[in-house]
Amino acid sequence: METFLLKDIDNPNSANINFYINNQGGYQSLQKALAMSPAEVIDMVRKANLRGRGGVGFSAGMKWYFCSLNKEVSPKYLIANADEGEPGTFKDRAILEKRPHLLIEGMVIAGYSFGAEYGYIYLRGEYPKAKEIVNKAIQEAYHKGYLGDNILGKGIKFHITVHQGAGAYICGEASTLLESLEGRRGHPRIPYYRLANVGAWGKPTIVNNIETLSNVPLIIKIGPEEYTQIGPAKSPGPKLYSISGHVNKPGLYELPMGTSLRELIYKHAGGIRENRKLKAVIPGGISTPVLPPDKIDCAMDFDSMRNAGSWLGSGAVIVMDDTTCMVKILWRALKFFEHESCGKCVPCREGTGWMRNIVERIEDGKGTDDDIDLLMDIVDNIKDKAFCPLVDGAVTDVESIVTNFRSEFEEHIKNKVCRMVNA
Amino acid sequence: MITVTINSKEIKLEKPITVLDAARQEGIRIPTLCYHELLEPYGGCRLCLVEVEKMATLQTACTLLTVDGMVVKTESDKIAKARRGMLEFLLINHALDCPYCDKAGECDLQDNVEKYGPAKGRFKETKRKIPESLEDSIIVRNMERCILCTRCVRMCNNVQGAFALSLINRGGHSHIQPFSGGTFDCEYCGNCISVCPVGSLMSRLHRHAYRPWQIESETETICPYCGVGCTVIVQARSQNITRVIPKFGTGLNNGLLCARGRFGYEFVGSKDRLKTPLIRKGGMLEPSTWEEAISLIAKKLSEIRDQHGGKAIGGIASSRCTNEDNYVFQKFMRIAIGTNTIDSIARMGYSGAQRLIENIFGQGSTANLINGLANSDTILCLGGDPTTINPVLGLQIRESRRNGGNILTIGYLKGFENFSPISLKPRIYSENTLLEGLIVELVKRKGLTGEKSAFEARIKDIKTSLEDVEKECGLSKTGLDNFIEILVNASAPSVILGPGLIQRADGSYSILLISALSYIMNARIYLLSERPNEQGLLDMGCEPDMLPGYRPVTLANFRKRYEGAWKARIPDEKGLTLFEMIEAAKEGSLKAMYVMGENPVFNLPNSKKIVSALKNLGFLVVQDIFLTETAQIANVVLPSLGWAEKDGTYTNLERRIQRVRRALSKDGMEDWRIVAEISKNMGVPMDYSSAEDILTEISNVSPLYKDITHAEIEKGDALWPYKGEPLRGGLEEISLKDIICHAPRISDGKFFISIEKPLFLSGTLSRKALALNRIYPEAVVRINPLTAQRLGLNSGDIVSITTEVGTLTLPLLYDILVDESTVMLTNNFEERGAFSLIDYKLDQITKAPGIEGWEVKIQKIMEKVGS
Repeated sequence: METFLLKDIDNPNSANINFYINNQGGYQSLQKALAMSPAEVIDMVRKANLRGRGGVGFSAGMKWYFCSLNKEVSPKYLIANADEGEPGTFKDRAILEKRPHLLIEGMVIAGYSFGAEYGYIYLRGEYPKAKEIVNKAIQEAYHKGYLGDNILGKGIKFHITVHQGAGAYICGEASTLLESLEGRRGHPRIPYYRLANVGAWGKPTIVNNIETLSNVPLIIKIGPEEYTQIGPAKSPGPKLYSISGHVNKPGLYELPMGTSLRELIYKHAGGIRENRKLKAVIPGGISTPVLPPDKIDCAMDFDSMRNAGSWLGSGAVIVMDDTTCMVKILWRALKFFEHESCGKCVPCREGTGWMRNIVERIEDGKGTDDDIDLLMDIVDNIKDKAFCPLVDGAVTDVESIVTNFRSEFEEHIKNKVCRMVNA
Repeated sequence: MITVTINSKEIKLEKPITVLDAARQEGIRIPTLCYHELLEPYGGCRLCLVEVEKMATLQTACTLLTVDGMVVKTESDKIAKARRGMLEFLLINHALDCPYCDKAGECDLQDNVEKYGPAKGRFKETKRKIPESLEDSIIVRNMERCILCTRCVRMCNNVQGAFALSLINRGGHSHIQPFSGGTFDCEYCGNCISVCPVGSLMSRLHRHAYRPWQIESETETICPYCGVGCTVIVQARSQNITRVIPKFGTGLNNGLLCARGRFGYEFVGSKDRLKTPLIRKGGMLEPSTWEEAISLIAKKLSEIRDQHGGKAIGGIASSRCTNEDNYVFQKFMRIAIGTNTIDSIARMGYSGAQRLIENIFGQGSTANLINGLANSDTILCLGGDPTTINPVLGLQIRESRRNGGNILTIGYLKGFENFSPISLKPRIYSENTLLEGLIVELVKRKGLTGEKSAFEARIKDIKTSLEDVEKECGLSKTGLDNFIEILVNASAPSVILGPGLIQRADGSYSILLISALSYIMNARIYLLSERPNEQGLLDMGCEPDMLPGYRPVTLANFRKRYEGAWKARIPDEKGLTLFEMIEAAKEGSLKAMYVMGENPVFNLPNSKKIVSALKNLGFLVVQDIFLTETAQIANVVLPSLGWAEKDGTYTNLERRIQRVRRALSKDGMEDWRIVAEISKNMGVPMDYSSAEDILTEISNVSPLYKDITHAEIEKGDALWPYKGEPLRGGLEEISLKDIICHAPRISDGKFFISIEKPLFLSGTLSRKALALNRIYPEAVVRINPLTAQRLGLNSGDIVSITTEVGTLTLPLLYDILVDESTVMLTNNFEERGAFSLIDYKLDQITKAPGIEGWEVKIQKIMEKVGS
């Protein structure tokens, strides 16, 4: 398949603006978009069914439309969420480091559509190289007149600032991201308002994923009709899949939305290492429920994944073969959530650590018979009771792993040892 | 109209409020921990989860806004399990050291666990360990008990505005810590302690001294420190104060306090309190009996009165005593002694400024509600920092900033530095030039209304141009333009005037200018008051020319009314003001003085001069709770009951009359009772059996306190004129033409004293409050680092400050906000008071002393230790 998002990423000049313009037809979508009215741009993106690639899958066009209704309010903000913190995910990094102009073009078009004059790229603290590249690209774009107060001489204003986060997973959550951007501690906000109405500094704000914004130039270029033909019509477009774990060819793949997990693992990623048996797949990053091998025929798009009992998430596929101890996987996942809990609300702050403790002692062979029930009761006390969705990731991991692999936990408790430990 | 149903009870609401508020309105209890009525909702403790129809998951009542048709359930098995779950989570890392935690018994966590919590814990691992922090001398911080509700942080940042506390670290490692590390570098308001639901932040003053259920009495009274008049609760055990706390929802402070109010109560139980009357015998003050002391005073005062006339005796009333004390005192001076020579510390500025402003705008024109300040869109502060002089009033100004208002400041105002104030810092003693320039510009931009023609004529006399201001004040044009723009566009402005500009030899001119500015802007004026009953003592007639209710003593028809009520003659000629008394004592025409609850030697400038004047008196009576500098040179010293030991009323700076209550039953006499005893011994009986008796008489004679009774005060807002009438005309007319500027011209390279009003100390009482002295342990001199550099001085050096009056040796401290030609000193430490360095020049209109403007020489005595 012809790639769009990852086009020419192996070319050392891929981040260069001249390469982007001369070899890839860059910024033509911007010219096309600026020739249209903002409402027409939004309409196009809505018709293209562009769904948020951060994991929730909400229609980007609808978001922009809501924001565009705040006609009297100025300024509005567009935030490109580059706080790619979901374990297993490395898709935005490729765009940031290899195709920064694609992102910038998408941002300017998005900003134009709903009237934002200022854009921020909230960049993950651990991506110093991306910061350098994106900042250079922004300078290039200013120089060529694709950013500034009078873009392409059309009186359109759009500025981009890169803001580097300090390394908190929770700051990928939109309202927390804004708190951090405004200079405060990364705590999620009480959702009194849609961010599209009251967001950064109290102004209408749109937070979009890097990949979402990078899809925009394609939609403008080929139009919604053609775009919706890539993958299923209800969640179309090219999609980046980060595949890691026990496969022969781990890496980043751009494939049409709706490619099946099986095709991804066995065709593109070259199958399981040493021809071992597949044990489990985390399909969309560590906060999505683990799928057992019998579910891997499902298509990787927002709706099909939900039907299969998991989520598409960020498209970060983590493959585990039969040498994997699922208790240890759960322990590792919980350790992550414990570490990344912001500490604002009680169930997440105290619950993640407690669950990690319990799983830790099961893994160490010190579990007791009632530990699994205790774990599930804690999950029940956390589930749907926390402030933000962070801890839901921990909850789904516990639920899906304990449900699908309960016998493994019982075995640990019974034998007082992890049989995988030396395997 | 919104209709919601909570537990099958239908509730009608005018506007959307949170489910929690709606439930509480109806008396439906939903447990909470992180919620506090003064703070923004947080939604962190998840204890207030409720079931809402048509919503899949439980919702936090504190963050959920009601919508029409909402159906809410607050009790169900599901909710009970959720609450149990949350409390279990909170307890897994909680110290559970209730047996020795001071909070046990009034701990929200304990109460909630007792009601909703699990009976047994399932956590098997070891708890998080964080050692208790005893690094700070006032606030103990125990992070093992902390439930991270962040009430303290939100209080500190969003209400107090001190920005001293923060959440540190993340997730399970989060804890609360001052930015300054272990010790607090903050305003010590202690409001974080009030909102802490557990025993994480606690006052060290009463650590492990008692359990909450051992409190024997709780008394609601008014704070003894400043003119705001915050309501406090005095908790006592065995006739000792265990602690002083505020109460949310009560008083104009609504649960907020400052450092002095919360931690300054230790003076009451000080070992230095006077216990028996003292009589000077053979040069020494010897303990004596009440009978001996009172008959001696009666005899001596009668003799002097009979020999030299009442005019030879003066009285100083007390801004720390109640209205009742002061009323009886002035009545005694007027009818038993036969003199109008009675004045008070209010002469230091408050009374004169108020008189002048009232002359221009009418009586009561400085009576503006403190809590209305937060609604001002523009607040101009000058002459002193409201956040240190009247801290809780200062909070309202900070609140106005949060509401989107502008804070404009002129001069040294540290308290708003974190509130992006728009500041002008004119060169010292050029403030009047700046005000003139602002007035000229505002008249140009806004015009005059024609309402007060005489005043407008005076305003039109002012000719200073902005160019003059730039040059003389050393200000930039952009800064001035910006400042003026905000003044011009203010729609609800207020002006806050502190003592700094009043205590000048041309203070009256500053007041005139500030009045003019307020007039053009249509601003409300607030006069800061440093003492709890400065306003009340003036209301009571403790002025040489005014009878209670500001009825001029020289007007016969007013005097007659009081003579009728008191059944005695009142002298018809004005008495001497405070500083005239000092002069008269010095030259010998004043033979005796009766000082009630005041310490002029320390609180008036040029202590040497005051001491020699008072020593020149034939007879000095001092009635106080401590052996103050003044008491030490008295002939007779009388110990009185102090704050928290007597009943009465205080009137605050907004003219709110509030009840002061007896919290401790101590032996001794109230000030009014002592005065009445002496009066009786002098043949003028005063038959009062209680403070309430006196208030009844006050409400009968004073037109401003008409119908004020304890019952009326307790109903709520008793602001005078309560049912009476203020006096619009009849005040002594002051010729506005006579009020002129004579500020000293400042040449470079000279240094002048300016007086700091620190937040933590305010004088005689605070000196005896140990906790406050731990926060601010020693007198310092604050100097701008640039000045210090020029003089070759470093922070920490010991320097001597010399004027023509005296020398003080003090450690130097850098302060970037201090004017470069100023050395800033406090007047709060024994033997180290700035007032011992300065003389005074009286303002001819207000008769207030000019205490700034005294040139000093600075010399290094010793390098900073260790440098």
